[in-house]
Amino acid sequence: MKFLARDQLPTLLADLSTAAEVWVPVKQQNGVVQFDRWAPDVDVELDVFLARQSPKENVFPQTETYLEYRYLMVCSAQRPEFTDQTREELRQLVESEGGEVVAEVPPVAQELLLVADVGGGSQGEPGLGSAAGMDDSAQIILGLRPCDARGLSQMDNVFGGYGGFYFDPYYNVRRNNTTIIAVTCRTPRSTCFCRALGGSPAGTEGVDVLMTEIEGGFAVEAVTPKGESLVERSVFEKAQPEVEESAVAAKQAAEAGVNVPFELDGVREGLKAGFDSPVWHDLAMRCISCGTCTYVCPSCYCFNINDEIVEGTGERFRCWDNCFNPMYTLETSGHNPRESKHARFRNRFSHKFWYYPDKYDSLLCSGCGRCIMYCPTHVDIREVLRTMSAETTAEKGEA
Amino acid sequence: MSGAEIARQDRIRELARQALTEGKVDYFIGWKAGHVPSEVIPAFVRNVDECDMLLWNPLCHHNLTTFLKRKMPDPPDARIGVCVKGCDSRTLVALLQETLVDKERLYVVGVPCDGIIDRRRLEKAFSDEVIDIAFQGEQVVVTTRGGETKELAYEELLLEQCASCDFPNPRYYDDLAGELLPQPEGPPRFPGLEEYEALSAEEKDRVLADAFATCIRCFACIHVCPVCYCWDQCVNRSRRPALVGQKVAAKENLMFQMVHMFHVAGRCPSCGACDRSCPVEIPLYLLHRKMNKELFEMLGFQAGLNVEDKPVFQTFNIDDALGEQ
Repeated sequence: MKFLARDQLPTLLADLSTAAEVWVPVKQQNGVVQFDRWAPDVDVELDVFLARQSPKENVFPQTETYLEYRYLMVCSAQRPEFTDQTREELRQLVESEGGEVVAEVPPVAQELLLVADVGGGSQGEPGLGSAAGMDDSAQIILGLRPCDARGLSQMDNVFGGYGGFYFDPYYNVRRNNTTIIAVTCRTPRSTCFCRALGGSPAGTEGVDVLMTEIEGGFAVEAVTPKGESLVERSVFEKAQPEVEESAVAAKQAAEAGVNVPFELDGVREGLKAGFDSPVWHDLAMRCISCGTCTYVCPSCYCFNINDEIVEGTGERFRCWDNCFNPMYTLETSGHNPRESKHARFRNRFSHKFWYYPDKYDSLLCSGCGRCIMYCPTHVDIREVLRTMSAETTAEKGEA
Repeated sequence: MSGAEIARQDRIRELARQALTEGKVDYFIGWKAGHVPSEVIPAFVRNVDECDMLLWNPLCHHNLTTFLKRKMPDPPDARIGVCVKGCDSRTLVALLQETLVDKERLYVVGVPCDGIIDRRRLEKAFSDEVIDIAFQGEQVVVTTRGGETKELAYEELLLEQCASCDFPNPRYYDDLAGELLPQPEGPPRFPGLEEYEALSAEEKDRVLADAFATCIRCFACIHVCPVCYCWDQCVNRSRRPALVGQKVAAKENLMFQMVHMFHVAGRCPSCGACDRSCPVEIPLYLLHRKMNKELFEMLGFQAGLNVEDKPVFQTFNIDDALGEQ
């Protein structure tokens, strides 16, 4: 264990920022705390308990451009003379912008389609159209809570090819270049329920280094090899025995502040047994079917892929999506298997505690309580899970 | 809590009980305490014996008429009882003007309102979690999870819009919970816009761009809005036609909110539900209240005042002062 004096925090951040981009919780102008890039004039906000959103966006940006393209189309049957002209235009484009022709549809349908990948990216950012353009710079996130870190590690399975499923290069390149320095919670809220899910306000899942606030500074523990090398820095002092004692006490105090509002055992079974239960209608009554809970969630990962094209210049990007969105399940036929509000509502909880655990051997909730805090009508995930657990008990009682 | 407020609460419970007993409604929508006493949430009461959980106090900020709009009633043809404050009643009137809710299936309890607390502002005065807010006369007693207690003045904690409320009484109701309050005199007020209006066009652009750069496109603002009822057909999410960009970026976010603003213009009474629902606290009132001010100054129109009125964009008046603008 190491010790970092409170007044050495800026020194540490300055040191870290020489080799990586450093992200910390920062109070914005309107008082909302969000993760932001650290710079010498930026104050790190560790007093406000949770940032409004977890730093999920650092590994999984809300909008991420895959590629940019030019889409040139001519009607070769009616205007054959334009075919060659278009080819030439495209050739020049490829030359000047360093792109590559990725598809050429022969003029069978009396049309010639030429699609060029011109590297991707926008606003001066490097493109993601090809692996070479992928953002692989190192980043360090400091000041997130253990539930936020656990949220990231829960997402890892779906993007990491677990069980032979899809491996997402964009997510993983960023994830591997990210170092997580979490800070033990000091004053958990009534909405916290990490302990009900096997977590802790001093949990280390997904954490490289854990810092615990004590008198005069932080007790610092390395959790992973990445963390080990990080705490070698000279700004960290060797910890005196009382540092360890204070850290244990601080962790215990935090633990005591986290309620255990339901038993995890039985939740999955309850969701299965109660899939068609009319109880879902009652639970969903006050849901307004927006997506706030999913966008403040540290582990909701659903996304869609969009093509937007203006006058032949297009962009393909992914964007966070959520199960309350009509397009989420809308089929090309126009049929939507999840038409009603309660069916969309049911999916969020079933996904987190039933489908995802079944497929990826992990929960998809770390108990941060943001969905309860920021839901416009305070839909309470704890109440939903408690109610659904009782569904099995009810069924058993009948049998 | 004042005597008048206790009387309103008792009357809400009584009217709900009556409506359910008589079978007038399938369920009754009011307010109740959330997971901590400081949190008030919408309540859906189906049984007579649950009526005592209904409450009334200056934390009842939810505009419950949002649960009347398309796709919200469950079952779709439910007969619903609902509580409305002055501002909420105006969104209900707007829905009635467009015959989007059926009067016959509705039982409306009007609640005169002295003003709602700005919880967000209150919470920022504490670093710890606020778990209890009690009302003692003109004082508000706030307790945090750590046990800290502070007394604050009710008047100073009011939402900006409530501090200069033009309609403390509901504009539409079947029964009233409590006595009507004195109706304020004078022209309508549109508070909180002075600073914004004093800016140059470029500065306004910057203020809006900065505000909307933080938008996370969760769509809480449009879903919580009672007069925003396109549901799955919302143009902001449509890919065909792709009129609004799906990227989460300042320009696209502002575009999306502009669409919302123009679409609810003439039906939005600035109830502030969008503002209070925003998880990243974007000052949405800047757009909506400003729009309402323009509508009043140009056309003398205020949304949701009388069921017989037509929404402003559904009428044409030769005397409208458009030519002078």
